[in-house]
Amino acid sequence: MSSSAYAPAMERTQDTVVKRQYKSKRDWAKWGLATYFVIFLVFLYAPMILMAILSFQGYQGGVTFPFSGPAGLDWWRSIFASEVHHGQQVIFTNADGIRTAGEGSLWVSLAAGAIVAVLAFTLSMAFRRSFRGDGIAFYIILLALMTPGFLLGLGTQIFWKAMGQETSLWHTALGTNTVWGIPFGFLVMMAIWNRYDDHIDEAARDLGANAARTFGEVTLPLVWTGIFGAFLFGFTLTWNDFDRTALLVVGNLTLPLEIVGLIQAAALRPDLYALGTATTLVSIAVIVTFLVVLAIRSRFRRTTVHRVEEELGLGGGIDAEAAEQVVEG
Amino acid sequence: MSSSSTPDPTPHLDLADIEEDELEVEHEHERALGEQRGAQGERRRNWVTLAWAAPGFLWLGFFLIAPLVFIVLMSFWTPNTSVGFVKDWTTQNYSDLLHPFSLDNAYWKDMWRSFQISAIAVAACLVFGFPIAYFLAMKVQKLQYQIALFILTLAPFWTSFITRSVAWAYPLMGSHGALNTFLVKLGVSSYDNPLLNTQFTQLSVQLAMIQLYILFMVTPIFFLLAQVDRHAIEAARDLGGNWWSTFREVVLPQTMPGVVIGSIFIFVLTMGEYGTVQVISQGAVTTVGVYIQTQIVGTQYPQGAASAVLLVLILILGVFAITRFSNLREDI
Repeated sequence: MSSSAYAPAMERTQDTVVKRQYKSKRDWAKWGLATYFVIFLVFLYAPMILMAILSFQGYQGGVTFPFSGPAGLDWWRSIFASEVHHGQQVIFTNADGIRTAGEGSLWVSLAAGAIVAVLAFTLSMAFRRSFRGDGIAFYIILLALMTPGFLLGLGTQIFWKAMGQETSLWHTALGTNTVWGIPFGFLVMMAIWNRYDDHIDEAARDLGANAARTFGEVTLPLVWTGIFGAFLFGFTLTWNDFDRTALLVVGNLTLPLEIVGLIQAAALRPDLYALGTATTLVSIAVIVTFLVVLAIRSRFRRTTVHRVEEELGLGGGIDAEAAEQVVEG
Repeated sequence: MSSSSTPDPTPHLDLADIEEDELEVEHEHERALGEQRGAQGERRRNWVTLAWAAPGFLWLGFFLIAPLVFIVLMSFWTPNTSVGFVKDWTTQNYSDLLHPFSLDNAYWKDMWRSFQISAIAVAACLVFGFPIAYFLAMKVQKLQYQIALFILTLAPFWTSFITRSVAWAYPLMGSHGALNTFLVKLGVSSYDNPLLNTQFTQLSVQLAMIQLYILFMVTPIFFLLAQVDRHAIEAARDLGGNWWSTFREVVLPQTMPGVVIGSIFIFVLTMGEYGTVQVISQGAVTTVGVYIQTQIVGTQYPQGAASAVLLVLILILGVFAITRFSNLREDI
């Protein structure tokens, strides 16, 4: 303590030096990494953007650059209409096959989404408390995540052949696709349960609700975003799948199979790109839907909490930011 | 519950059971509150857990475990040209694959090619993916920006790998693709003799694997980096550590599980690739997945199954080797 007498006289160079050095270094690294991140995004998105651009080529368009104009919607029309007229010429299209595949893809993806949502939810309910063998059970779910889709398609093909059954989109491909979605949905639900306060259920029971009513009126409304997330995982993974489906079905019954079918056709045309871009847009629309739902829900939730806090006069309760400011001040 | 006609060696238990039944009627909702920790309540909750777990595991048993088991069974059955297979046990399928056990054997040649592609993909995804995760987790301060940029990074995962392969192979790769066109404009390449031969080649497949799977490395590393205790980093700096020593001693050990999980994902999934490889190379590059698929399409089920079993064994060995780098159970 005696040294404190010298303290005002001492130069505090050490503090300033450390501060300046730290600051300048961090900024440099940050901007370097930010530049790298932008390059990374270009690497990630460039192929799909190039594909989208080439899908707007004119009638003469091929599958590589240079872009063959004039730009138009001919190839986009060709994935919906059976014939596209270009002046006197008629372009024959694959629209019939694409429509069949699109419908197949849509229905099987919706079914897979529903199954994944239900099974991921029930599985996660079981894991809310520990039970004998939960370690092995967890590894089985991880196995579903880790098994290459190709091997699972192969195994299902062999299993059904051994049973003397024929494989098909609705009997086998649906099942193998849900196996890929279930672990994702399960992990989403586990994340929800980790943040879920079990006392809410207990409070409902204390107020006289039975188990079914607690579940229906308290638990479910609080976790349905997780279930919806599981549904979307099941939907998009099936919507985009090739490896799991290709070995099990005959013919182009889903859009990814149709896309590969178009590649194997004699002449590649930009309708391949229009179809690829269209399926990608559906996937992106699904993500955006989910994010919008999430944003609306969190805003709604926040206002409710505020209202309750105001009504009960709890406005100045636990506020992390305010607490931080107090500590800093 | 217990019948009165047979002499019960432990009548007290019986009595206790009856008493407990009465108690259950009286205190049913107290029990529901979880206040009763008796054996019966425990048993009932076990039934509830079982009921929740049953549908999911029955489904996984039928569509995951049974297929995997049947790959193993089928690999020991005898091939038959007319019906595919007959259920006579044999090890011939394996000895066919193991003789010769060299790169002269098409199977091992394809396996080696797959392994090369996969190993390079894992290494490249780590080297190029880590800075991305580091940037998102450490350098983006505002939570909203962090979430937005992370979603932007992750979005391609939700799109079809087949579509992404199409977009990779035709507009970008090849002598008239965007990449070579760009290089020609720079003056370092030409259309007739391109600098990088990416027209349906292994190089094109290799680069595509990195592009398709890098998100599997970025995501787990990002989640672990986001959890690294910032105070530990500050403490390391205060104690005189420079950037590199802080990174090596504080940040890296806490992120190793993410690196390991990402590596396992990419290794396993790229080793099993076949659809994307076929699209990108137009059949010019054969990986072990393509090899097995050819066998199955040709209804050589037992041979294909044996090929798959050996692949799975190699995958397990690889995963085991990767997990040596981190004790996942303890570290997470």
